Amino acid sequence: MTFVHQEVWHWQIATYLFLGGLGGATFAIGAVLHLFEGCDRKMLSIAVMSSIAFLVVGTVFLLADMLQPLKAIYALTNPRSWIFWGVVFINFYFIAAIAYIIPLLDEWPLFQPIVQKIPAPIIGLLERFNKLVALGGSAAGFLVAIYTGLLISAAPAINFWNTPALPLLFVISGFSTGAAFLLLLSMLSSNPAAPVISAKLEQLDAMLIVTELIILGAYFNFAMFLPTGARASAEFLFHSPVFIVGFFVAGLIVPLAIETWGIFFGGHSQENKPKLPMLLASSLVLLGGYLLRIYVLKAGMFQYPW
Amino acid sequence: MARYGMVMDMRTCVGCQACMAACSTENQTPFWSEKFRTHVEDKEVGTFPDVRRVQLPRLCMHCENTPCLSACPTGATHMDKNGIVLVNNDRCIGCYACCIACPYDARYAYEREDVEKEHELYGKDVSHETPHVDKCTFCVQRLKEKLEPACVATCPTHTRIFGDLDDRQSEVHKLAASGKAQALNQGLGTSPKVFYIPS
Ligand code: SF4
Ligand code: SF4
Repeated sequence: MTFVHQEVWHWQIATYLFLGGLGGATFAIGAVLHLFEGCDRKMLSIAVMSSIAFLVVGTVFLLADMLQPLKAIYALTNPRSWIFWGVVFINFYFIAAIAYIIPLLDEWPLFQPIVQKIPAPIIGLLERFNKLVALGGSAAGFLVAIYTGLLISAAPAINFWNTPALPLLFVISGFSTGAAFLLLLSMLSSNPAAPVISAKLEQLDAMLIVTELIILGAYFNFAMFLPTGARASAEFLFHSPVFIVGFFVAGLIVPLAIETWGIFFGGHSQENKPKLPMLLASSLVLLGGYLLRIYVLKAGMFQYPW
Repeated sequence: MARYGMVMDMRTCVGCQACMAACSTENQTPFWSEKFRTHVEDKEVGTFPDVRRVQLPRLCMHCENTPCLSACPTGATHMDKNGIVLVNNDRCIGCYACCIACPYDARYAYEREDVEKEHELYGKDVSHETPHVDKCTFCVQRLKEKLEPACVATCPTHTRIFGDLDDRQSEVHKLAASGKAQALNQGLGTSPKVFYIPS
């Protein structure tokens, strides 16, 4: 029996997984906030535009890692493959995100000439079904985020990846990065409703980080249980200072501490809350999310029978 | 219609690697980048003082339940009617999902530089026109000519026994059914069609 580090997928794919989770979750959370908290059209349009950009850039990284990116359309052939579903989910996501954002673009003078070119009945229709599209879009965002974990869990000989805990970890971490990104945007927004949204996002992100910690605990407990490649991977991560300090401490514990402080002791008036700690917390969550994917990929080890 | 498979008699393998050389020449695999369709693992087993060397030749197991085929989004990886797992080079996009899914390290990337080098070495007579993921094919082109795979034909110690696993008269069927030969990593449920007689 030998354990060999996988040398197939590197930081490019980690970037794709990170941006996929971030983009999917940003849209999903933004759309849910719209449904339940009303709509700050400016902030939502920035959020959705950024989430589209995340997925576009992520897809470029995926394509750049392929041997024949120009033939990528063939990826829609085999429904047994997770990549097939990834392509379906991402396209579904793009359609929903674009349909969702068009009516919001009239907030921006820059885009008004483009919006004006679209026939009024179409805009009217998109405006009317905006909430429905938000619902569909949040489902698409969720699917994209969970797909990033499903993709790499389809590796029978990489025990550390081949577990249902991994898609769960990636989806929770994806949503935590999405909430952190939206928190970053709402902290920078001058809209009078922004502090209320920030407070909600702060709570959401803290809850997601706690959930992530529980899943991480279960995940590593499973990994250490049997003398398989999963244990070797977990040991590799325990001995990686960047993973421990960068992801675990700086990317989870520190932001959780800041957010908890913000929720309980940050003062009752949202307007007067100092912004810097929250900006730091959200940036750290984003950095941590990226490091998690890089290190989970690095830690993947094939367990060969020879 | 056959169900091709192989038995490796590890009792006789001397680790000469003639199979690797024969395969490389037959299939123009990029030996210049040290990539091969078949390898011979040189292993030490046991603990001192009871230690010995074991040679384990390996290649694609042509799994019956095929993780690489399930992972391949383009359908480039497919199984032919004789149970041989093949890659359609023109359809492969090189996403590496199959390389991640394969539990037996049977696949590698035939990269652009490898295609260029191949053209330099073999001129117009090349078998890899574009970059793709490559693996053992049991030498399908030779099977069509009623020849054995290059590694089998070359092996000087009769370590590699090839044939139709469904043909009750064949040596490969008899050995695979004898109980002496086992597949690797059976717990994964891949049902390999390559079996090993331990040394
Ligand atoms: S050994 Fe690997 S490449 Fe060959 S059929 Fe099995 S999974 Fe596919
Ligand atoms: S690299 Fe080629 S053969 Fe492998 S999964 Fe991708 S398209 Fe299929």
